[in-house]
This record gives sequence, C-alpha cells and structure tokens, in this order.
Amino acid sequence: MQFLLASGNNPVSHVLDAPVRIGGMEPYSGLTLQVVTLFVGLIAFVAVLLYASKNISTGKEALGHRRYLSRGRIAQVIEVMCLYLRDDMLTPMMGKKDAHKFAPFLLTLFFLILSLNLIGMVPMQDLQLITGTWIEDAQLAVVGGTATANIAVNAVLAFFVFIVIQAHGFRELGVKGWLEHLCGGHELVAGPKGLWLVVPIIFVVEVLGLIIKPAALCIRLFANMFGGHTLLATLLMFGGMTWAGTNNGLATAGVTLVSGIFAILITFMELFVAFLQAFVFMFLSAVFISLMSHHEEEAEAHELDGATAAAH
Amino acid sequence: MNIFILANEAAAEASPLSFKLLPAFSTVAVFLVAFGTFAFVVWPKITKALDARDEKILGEIRAAEAAQAKAKAAQSEFEKRLEEARTAADDMIRKARAEADRQADELRTRSQRELDDMRLRATQELESAKRTALAEIHAVAATLATTVAGKILKREIQPSDQKRLVDESLSEMTSR
Repeated sequence: MQFLLASGNNPVSHVLDAPVRIGGMEPYSGLTLQVVTLFVGLIAFVAVLLYASKNISTGKEALGHRRYLSRGRIAQVIEVMCLYLRDDMLTPMMGKKDAHKFAPFLLTLFFLILSLNLIGMVPMQDLQLITGTWIEDAQLAVVGGTATANIAVNAVLAFFVFIVIQAHGFRELGVKGWLEHLCGGHELVAGPKGLWLVVPIIFVVEVLGLIIKPAALCIRLFANMFGGHTLLATLLMFGGMTWAGTNNGLATAGVTLVSGIFAILITFMELFVAFLQAFVFMFLSAVFISLMSHHEEEAEAHELDGATAAAH
Repeated sequence: MNIFILANEAAAEASPLSFKLLPAFSTVAVFLVAFGTFAFVVWPKITKALDARDEKILGEIRAAEAAQAKAKAAQSEFEKRLEEARTAADDMIRKARAEADRQADELRTRSQRELDDMRLRATQELESAKRTALAEIHAVAATLATTVAGKILKREIQPSDQKRLVDESLSEMTSR
C-alpha cells in the first residue's frame, strides 16, 4: 500500500518543491528536487537537440540523395516541430525577418519548457520512494517534481521574454516611439488635443501591460502544471484515504481501480498539456514581441491615407 | 521516516507561490546554457541542413524544368523536321508521279508515232510492191499476149506493135 500513499495526506506536498535527501543524512535545504530536475531537463534538452541536429544535418556524400534526409524518428519529430513553428506559426505572425531573428530564442523557450514539462511527468519521486522502501533507510530523494510547477522558474523565463520584448521595442521604435507606444501610439499623441485626456489612462494601462503580459505567461504555465499534478496526486490519494477511513481492502481496491483509471486518463491529458503549455508560452511570447514591431502594412496604409488627404 | 511525511511538513509551511532565489538563479543559468546551445550549435546546424535541402530540391526542380523545356524544344524540333520530311516526301512522290506520267505520255506518243510511221511505210511499200507487181504483170502479160498473138497471126510483131496492142488490151480491160 505504500506506493498508493505516494502523495501522502496532502496532494500539494507532492507537487511542491522539497529539499534533496540522501540516505540518513539531514536534508540539504540549499538544493531542492525541482532545481535538480531543472538541470536534468537541461541535460535532456541539450542531449536530444544535439542528437537531433546531428541527424538533421546534411550527411556524407556517399549517401547520395539520402544525405539530405533526416535520420531517425527523434530527428524527424524535432525537424517537423522546428519547421512548423518557424514557417507556419512564427512567419505568418511576425514576418519572415523577425521570425528568423527570434526563432532561436522562441524555440529555446518551447523546447526547454517542453522538456521540463515532460521530465516532470516521470514519477521519479515515487520511484525513489519505492526504492527507499525496498532498501532499508535509503530514503533517496535527489530528483523529482516538475520544474515548471515552480513559480520562480517560470518567472525567470517570463523575465527573459520581458527583456526581449522591451529590447525589440526600443530597437524597432526608438525611445520616442517606445514612449509614444506607451501613450497609445503616434496617432493619439499627435492627434487632436481632446484625445490627450485618454493618454494618461492608456499610459497606465500600457505600463501595467508591460508587467502583466510576462506575468500572465508565468502564472498560466505555473497554474497549469501545478494544477495538473495536484489533480493527479489527489486522484492517487483516494485509495489511501479509503484504507485509512475503512480498513476495508475490497473498498480500497475498488476506489484505487477507479481513481487509477482516471489518473491514467488525466496523465494522457497532462501529456497533451505539456506540449500545449510549451506552445502557448512561446506563441504568446511571439505575439508580444511582434506587437512591438513596425508593421509595414500599417505604414503603407498611413502613406496611402496621407496621399489621399494630399489629393483632396 | 517517510520522506513524504517530511514533505508534508514542509508543505504546511511552504506556499506554492513562494519565490525562492535558488530555483530562480538556477533557471537563469539553465536558460542561458540552453539558449547558447540552441542558438549557436543546434539551430545553425538545423537551418543549414534545411537550407541545403531546400537548395537541393529547388535545384532539382529547376533542372527538371530545364530538362522538360529542353525535351519540349527537342520534341517541337523533331515534329518540325518530321513535318518537313513529310512535305519533302510528298513533293518527291508528286514529282515522281508527274515524271512517270510525263514519261508514259512521251512513250505512248513516241510509240504511236513509230506505229504510224511503220504503218505508212508498210502502206507505201505495199503500194510500191503493188505497182511493181502490176508493172511486171503488164510486162509478162504483154510479152505473153504478143507471143500468143504472134503465133496466131504467124507474123513477127514489132515492139511498137506489141506496145500498142498491150495498151489497147489494157484500155479494154480497164473500160470493162
């Protein structure tokens, strides 16, 4: 029954970060499970992408035409993801120039978050618990949890997005243009004086938006990963709770079976969410970055308006 | 002691929203390493390979289009030459047929002419032979008649008499 109680008596405890613990040693509070998982995710990210890039790159001439083909399933999946994200998602939204410019940053975000989400789905803590049960006093807990269920991790990722958005804004619009953007745009600032009344309101909203946009990225990812894993832990708790309440093996088995089936279904949904949230984080980052770009269509429209006004 | 009991105790104190510096700084390091790896190692390799593949595909499409254009040009050239050859063959057949007709006409004309000549010559020869024969018959008949007449009359008939008698006989024969 021990592993059925893996989530303890508090489902949140299974999701929250905890100190690393090795054997009978005192827990080292300086290093936590999610931090270790973060580095494990990094290793997975680097290993898989290096392997994939090696197999995507053009092969030896001896292979003939086949040297232009990606070799291996993993490389093919990574290639399809890269091509789809760059050509079918980023390019229509940001334009070819910006899409190619920001693709490394945005795809790093996507693949890093994806690898952290997927690593977080491996029940490493529970495996260590079972191992600790088998090996007397082992109590091994060095890695586990989902790094993206840690608000600090997501906040830092969102902070990088904030930096990139603002850097791109300064570069594209200049300081004056950036300030005008905060005040509602050039049309509003240079427009009729009556519209100046709304400028302070827009300024406040835009300044708040500077913070709210990356904060929304951070909180959305955190809430989805934390909530999903908490739900799984709660479902897995039901068996233990039934046993604690009834001491009836048959009832416990029935509840465990039903909640286990639901847990499996939720795990599949979590797998989907792992991909979806990585995509959403990257997608919204791309949207926020593209909002700070000059849009050629708008510029052309303004030129056209100017020409029409001059003709009149 | 179960580590999750420890975790539960820790969870009672911890909040999901508590911001810890260690994960934050670790994330900075992790992201920078990830970005560096991706942006400077992985992505250039992938884009280079994809660009090479695009170039290869585009090159092959261009080569295929060029080959197709070349094949079309060769086909049109072939068709043009075939048409010319067909026209030339038709001309040759028409000329040969005309030449054959002309030669046949000429042959027919020449044969007809030769035939007419032969017929004329034959007629002339026949007339000539007829005249000769008649002359000989006249001569023999005259001689014979004179001889007979001489014998009947018992006298020598002179050649002038002989001639006169023959002419008279012939006149009578003709008048009859």
